[in-house]
Amino acid sequence: MEKFSFKDVLVTFAGLLITSFIAWVLISATGNNPSEVALYLYEGGFKGTRNIANSLYQATPLILTAVATLISFRVGMFNIGINGSMYVGALYAGWAGYKFTTLGHFTHVTVCILIGMLVGAAWMLLPALLRVYAGVSEIISTIILNFVAVLFVSYMANGPFRADPIAPATPRILETAELKQIFPNSQFNTGFFIAVFVAILAHFVLNKTTFGYELRSGGDGLVGMYPSRFSSYLGIPSDRSAIIGMLISGALGGLAGAIEVLGAVRYFFQELEFNQGFDGILIGILGKLEPIGSIIASLFYGAIKNGGFYVDYKTDVSREIIIVLISILIFFVSAQKIVKGLEKYPFIKKMDNFFSRKKM
Amino acid sequence: MIGYRKNFKMSTNTAIHLKNITKEYPGVIANKNVDFEVNKGEIHALVGENGAGKSTLMKILYGIEQPDEGEILINGETQVINKVETAINLGIGMVHQEFTLVPSFTAPENIGLGQEPRNSQGLIDWKGLNKLVVDIAEKYGFKVDPGLKMIDASVGVQQRTEILKTLYRNANILILDEPTAVLTPQETDELFTVIRTLVDEGKTVIFITHKLREVMEIADRVTVMRAGEVQGVSETKNTSIAELASQMVGREVFLQVKKDEANPEEEILNVEDLWVHDARGLLAVKGISLDIKKGEIVGIAGVEGNGQSELVEALTGLRKTSQGSINYLGENISSSTPKNIRRKKIAHIPEDRTNTGLNTQLSIWENLIGNSYFRKPLSTNGIFNLKKIAQHSNKLKDDFDIRAPNISLKVRSLSGGNQQKVVVARELSEDPILTIASQPTRGVDIGNIEAIHEQLVQMRDDGGAVLLVSAELDEVMAVADRVGVMYEGQIVKWVNPKEVDQAQMGLYMAGVKD
Repeated sequence: MEKFSFKDVLVTFAGLLITSFIAWVLISATGNNPSEVALYLYEGGFKGTRNIANSLYQATPLILTAVATLISFRVGMFNIGINGSMYVGALYAGWAGYKFTTLGHFTHVTVCILIGMLVGAAWMLLPALLRVYAGVSEIISTIILNFVAVLFVSYMANGPFRADPIAPATPRILETAELKQIFPNSQFNTGFFIAVFVAILAHFVLNKTTFGYELRSGGDGLVGMYPSRFSSYLGIPSDRSAIIGMLISGALGGLAGAIEVLGAVRYFFQELEFNQGFDGILIGILGKLEPIGSIIASLFYGAIKNGGFYVDYKTDVSREIIIVLISILIFFVSAQKIVKGLEKYPFIKKMDNFFSRKKM
Repeated sequence: MIGYRKNFKMSTNTAIHLKNITKEYPGVIANKNVDFEVNKGEIHALVGENGAGKSTLMKILYGIEQPDEGEILINGETQVINKVETAINLGIGMVHQEFTLVPSFTAPENIGLGQEPRNSQGLIDWKGLNKLVVDIAEKYGFKVDPGLKMIDASVGVQQRTEILKTLYRNANILILDEPTAVLTPQETDELFTVIRTLVDEGKTVIFITHKLREVMEIADRVTVMRAGEVQGVSETKNTSIAELASQMVGREVFLQVKKDEANPEEEILNVEDLWVHDARGLLAVKGISLDIKKGEIVGIAGVEGNGQSELVEALTGLRKTSQGSINYLGENISSSTPKNIRRKKIAHIPEDRTNTGLNTQLSIWENLIGNSYFRKPLSTNGIFNLKKIAQHSNKLKDDFDIRAPNISLKVRSLSGGNQQKVVVARELSEDPILTIASQPTRGVDIGNIEAIHEQLVQMRDDGGAVLLVSAELDEVMAVADRVGVMYEGQIVKWVNPKEVDQAQMGLYMAGVKD
């Protein structure tokens, strides 16, 4: 994949600058003080243990959904159904969290996580098989499955798994199934470390193993180009790569959901709403479809998101405006051509050459 | 250089003058102080190896790229061409190597697209358009069937439609980018007739090509480029193929392949009565039998689309066979997978380089290890040894003269010839017993064609068996020891390349038996 270059840094800064300007205008127009909002945004994102912990908590599922996205993209599949995997993974991790009563802490957490991942993966089996054996576009089937997932978990929380006669929710998970929260007054939990570990593992597997090479030989930047003739020509079964890639992608979505339930919410209820599956697509692209890049992009996104909550709490500016601003930022950061004109300046070229030097 | 000086004085006679053009891409100087001049009413060939800067120069002329320095004069007037529309308005038309036609449209629909004549209700005047197109075609001596959809048209017809498209837009200067690369000898002749008619009618033609024989046949003058610079401008009657070739590559090249007599030994491959269907389910290979021995190069000549692709795909496991057997070292591999066939040391240089032979999004080293990544020492227990991989890839890069600053570069950013060298390097690297090479030098420049031919001969001399499938008659005749001519799914004739001439081969390729 593309490596980061000096130009990317420039694009990011240019994007930040333009977004800041638009933010200034927007916030002033709503009758608020932009510098006050900027201060709270910064404080909410980065100031103090609690805010930092909350920012990391926000980043946790994003890391996983971003890696889930990039894995599917890099095998050549366009999976946008990670949100669906997240829902079903969360539901079944929650179910396992109260169902198994005799397990020790470590075993119970592991079992819950594995079940969440398994269900998340299973959710992607159908679109993968339909794509490979029937030629159904995975874009369509995964979008549809997102809606199905919402309705399915809502039914389960209302019916078979319902515990509370008043609210449609599952029983609270047992203490043995909890991912520990480390800081007081923060939902930050040990799931964060799982997410970072998984991303680093993904980096290793994709770039340093034959298995990863086989997976991405047919894709890698050719998003939605499955089946690739290159891999079948080399004798690498591209159907297998496509299916496995989708299953891993779904499993990571399920893991993101499981961590939300086991680490933060502690039970599954009908109104639980996820959108990190969609954010993950943006973040994965922002991170140049590299796991390490996705960690960085998720941390940034998590901090801004948490800063947005803080702004919402402290001022009259609603957090929807912050979400608008994030979208504008991503929009400009993706606009590579903005700095294309800068290429002609020797300094920029020199810096770019310097930063894009490679080892091999 | 003499002609160049003389014409400089008569500037009114100059259709195009690109003055002192310099264009730099990050890390590469594509054009360096290039001076390119084309007279009105001449056929001017622009030749050079891949990456010599021909395409960049033409992109600048056609408004796709902007020069860093330099000036463009059209008919003696300085022009700034910053978009394609400007170039078209100035009467410049370009026929790209890859056609830009809508397959489900007919010729007039394609030609009129974007500039359709309207009738009084503001609707498209189809009759008027058809008539206009037929009139233009007749004026230049083409035939055009206004009802034929492009998807059903031959490559030659598609190309003529592209030329008509530029004429419809009143082009006076036509740029043809490697127009003969996709044509049969007969179609090439037809194209040359068309080009001559165009010039007779007062048009100016720029003809970009690798093929020096065609330059000598059709062009009035020729500009040779190498490494971004103009090496020389000469009149074709005052120069020779050998001179042009040495200007192109900067050294003398041998247009003939140097090789000794073949010493065929035991049989490696024996194909018996092979039948294969194509992607549309039609029979493409109809009962082919052939054998290849250790130490010989067997060539398959023929106009493209006569079942060669399907034959190669069947041999390499990429396409199911319908009938017959493929015996390799005594074992029937007709239902083996590509993986098993590769593990039996059969190498395959595919005709489709960018989608099949390479993943252009991956780096050079990732493409180079495609057939060896799983073995020691490149990987152990499924984990890459990146150091060994770098050694292996750098060695291939040096051995096969792949020109790139480093092996982490994406293959996408290499020139066509260097991309092909990546494919050839990978396929020949694992000591194959049988090498199946399909159009191995397509779009590759002279210096590299020579290198690839030498490598194939070397494979043979080292005791390998080679099957060479090519639409380039010169190539098959020069490299192969035995040649089968394929026509409509059958091998109509086996010949010894030393005993037949090109005219005779042309007849066989057209399906004429003795």
